[in-house]
Amino acid sequence: MNSALIIRILGSIGLVEAISMIPAWVIALAYGDGDGPAMLYSMLLTAAVAFLMYFFAHPKERTLRAREGFLIVALSWIFLSVFGALPFLFSGLLPSFPDALFESVSGFTTTGATVLPSFDFMPHGVIFWRSFTHWIGGMGVLVLTLALLPRLADRSSHLMRAESPGPSLSKLVPRIGDSAKILYMIYIALTSMEMIALLFCGLDPYDAAIHALGTAGTGGFSNYGDSVAHFQSGQVELVMTIFMCLFGINFAIFYFGIHRSWKEIRNNEELRWYLGILITAILVLTVMLLPVYGDFSSSIRYASFQTASVVSTSGFCTVDFDLWPVQARMVLFVLMFMGSCAGSTAGGMKVIRVILLLKQGHREIRHTFQPRKVQRIRLDGHGVDESMLHSISAFGFAYIFIVLLGAFLIALEGKYDLITNFTASLTCVSNVGPGFGAVGPSGSFAGYGPYAKIISSLLMLAGRLELYPLLVLFHPNVWKT
Amino acid sequence: MRILVVGAGKVGRTLAEHLAGEEHDVSIVDKDEKVIDECNDRLDVMCIHGNGANAQTLIDAGVSKADVLIAATAGDEVNMLCCLIGKRLGARYAIARIRDPQYNESLMLLQQELGIDMAINPERATALEISRLLRFPFASNIESFAKGLVEMVEFRAQENDPVVGIPLKHLLNRHSHLPRVLYAAVERDGRVSIPMGDFIIRAGDRVFVTGDIVTITSYFKAMGKNTTSVKHVMIIGGGKISYYLSKMIVPTGIHVTLIEKNPEKAAILSEELPHVNVLCGDGTSTELLKQESLGDMDALVCLTDRDEENIMAGLFATRTGVPKVIVKNNRQFFSDLFPDMGLDSIVSPKQITSSNILRYVRARIGGQGTRVEKLHRILNGKAEALEFAVRKDDSFTGIPLMNLKMKNNTLVAVIVRKGKVIVPFGKDTIEAGDSVVILSCEPGISDLSEVFVK
Repeated sequence: MNSALIIRILGSIGLVEAISMIPAWVIALAYGDGDGPAMLYSMLLTAAVAFLMYFFAHPKERTLRAREGFLIVALSWIFLSVFGALPFLFSGLLPSFPDALFESVSGFTTTGATVLPSFDFMPHGVIFWRSFTHWIGGMGVLVLTLALLPRLADRSSHLMRAESPGPSLSKLVPRIGDSAKILYMIYIALTSMEMIALLFCGLDPYDAAIHALGTAGTGGFSNYGDSVAHFQSGQVELVMTIFMCLFGINFAIFYFGIHRSWKEIRNNEELRWYLGILITAILVLTVMLLPVYGDFSSSIRYASFQTASVVSTSGFCTVDFDLWPVQARMVLFVLMFMGSCAGSTAGGMKVIRVILLLKQGHREIRHTFQPRKVQRIRLDGHGVDESMLHSISAFGFAYIFIVLLGAFLIALEGKYDLITNFTASLTCVSNVGPGFGAVGPSGSFAGYGPYAKIISSLLMLAGRLELYPLLVLFHPNVWKT
Repeated sequence: MRILVVGAGKVGRTLAEHLAGEEHDVSIVDKDEKVIDECNDRLDVMCIHGNGANAQTLIDAGVSKADVLIAATAGDEVNMLCCLIGKRLGARYAIARIRDPQYNESLMLLQQELGIDMAINPERATALEISRLLRFPFASNIESFAKGLVEMVEFRAQENDPVVGIPLKHLLNRHSHLPRVLYAAVERDGRVSIPMGDFIIRAGDRVFVTGDIVTITSYFKAMGKNTTSVKHVMIIGGGKISYYLSKMIVPTGIHVTLIEKNPEKAAILSEELPHVNVLCGDGTSTELLKQESLGDMDALVCLTDRDEENIMAGLFATRTGVPKVIVKNNRQFFSDLFPDMGLDSIVSPKQITSSNILRYVRARIGGQGTRVEKLHRILNGKAEALEFAVRKDDSFTGIPLMNLKMKNNTLVAVIVRKGKVIVPFGKDTIEAGDSVVILSCEPGISDLSEVFVK
């Protein structure tokens, strides 16, 4: 185990985090809600600890091995969340540590579930930081660190692979540092476009920024208790629906678009499925909601926003969908498992895994009545490696197992009903945000005790890092040298 | 630069690793998915699975925008085809590894017709290296610069060498008979440094000295080293390197004894090399070696396919008292161990090939801007010696070296002016038209102006 290298990388990530607290601090000073010192102290404390770690760790060996790669990713997300919780603690917004940690983890993992007891006291700086964690966590902080410091370690692709969502890492350009830079460029460009669009819809700059950051990371934190419904504006909802769908697409697609490689885009099976599922779900929901809202236009308005919100795992709300008929709720429930495309900022199992699981299921059925048929599973016109299929099946099982285990552990606290506890676990692992019942759009996680909040935080981290990096932490052999 | 490497074998991977380390955009193509997966894990390059001689694969890999295409697959024909297609699709330079001796005879024609800018034959390049080592048996390694005017020679300092134990700046006062050479680099305990005036050479150090051939030869004579030329050589293993080597050294009057295990191969060799004493037998059998009077040989060259056999035979020969032992070893992992065992002259075709290609690529960075004429990676790649041609508009000409600020761990080793070799000291200047040899422990220098800090 190369502890010196791990500490050094953690240190550099801490430095990046401290730097990213600057905008929130500036906003805090500008609005003068009295949260300026909280932001400043958090920033200085993070910077000081990170500085010590960075400059006093002298790794002898710069090469990362696979095991250290996974470990670094898991540890750095925990590190990030702990220090990201400081502003909530220092400002008095969430005075207990489990609450502050939950909020911070929920931010970085782009879940968007909250434990804020009320929306009366909302200091601008800290609330901006809360949304900014979505933005950093969406694309991944290690990706950012690699873009800024590509020479941090040799074989750093282990880091990006463990952090990026999806079963395989597709590099856009030969150098990993350049790939990371391109991803962030696209990310920044899309976020700014959404912010400008929201400004045109009449939002003030602060609200526009909060909601653009929340959409970009597919997080879902809003600075209003009733989320996007607060604006009561069809335009805002339309803009956000479009951008939530866009941020659920693999970022490589945008890169191909810029380079006019239309063939690559047309060939992308995951994108076709993703769009197909989105449109189908919206139409089905619209039909189901017709009896509730009476007219077509408001049905499709609520249906499309909520579908986009759940599929992209953002978790913004324009309506309390917990009051919808059970068929409609079931649609959202199923979509919560799936999430969006690999290589996007969204959570969930990812469309590509669902496609390959379905194809495997189809193959197995076929195999029972035609055992001699040679069946190679294809994706994007190429055969898929059997070892990849195996790992995806294992992932599918692990995902469902973790959701069940999480529900069990949360239920041990003895609060609420089955639906609440189960969807709490699911919404955490899938990084959606709201669930059903007490954790639904009108509720929050605030009613849970510290134990369930810690469990939920771990579930969110597990979901964001796609299980294995976090599970690795609990494997005893990893800690043996 | 954008570089496309086809074939992720030993050479391809080494090249990709070095070029990526020098901030180039490298893509690597191989048809073995396992190999590609491994590359993806270990290298910061774009890895593409496919057949490198297939036009579509090359297009997907971006050959049309590639500055250099390097074909280093196992097959000569694949490499040639790859270069032919790649050149047509827009690659600026194409480099191919072509190792079959039969193609070698018509190489010029092939290169012209196929548009290959550089053809490298690893076995031939290795043989060339060995033949140079045989010419200067006192050196464990040798690099020549400025069209052979300057030699950079490596030797291992021994307890009774006059240079041991004296600070370099007092060396001339103590031993006035020693010709003046430049101590360019020293490796001690696996670490390379450029020695300053206070440096004291200790026994066991690997020392690099530079100077012109005559001075170097007299320097080693004054040191009491073996400068008698090699007359009798024994080669173990009858592969391609042995064939090329025999072809090169037999005309210079060296007697060659070649031992090959396989009777058919031995027969072909004896037919093709009439002046060589070809024996059929096991080169690792001490019985045979004694019988063929190994002890009387001036040099032994171990070139079998198996690294282990080469090393064992080499160790045996060193014990028997053969003055010069050259061993082929392709595995880099253990190369640090050999000097401790007394094996100083290790040749690795893989490393020779990759440094030849690297040299060619380096020389083409940025079009006319830079001018690396020659590049040698020494001390297992821990240091580099680079030769540059100085142009008229270079900013550092005419300034005494002591007034120039140099990059760390870098040294102006030699200046060649109008065919004369100058071992530079503080007062010497660099002038337009000179050839300059730079030694650096930091790899990746591609321009002389990078050496002098403004």
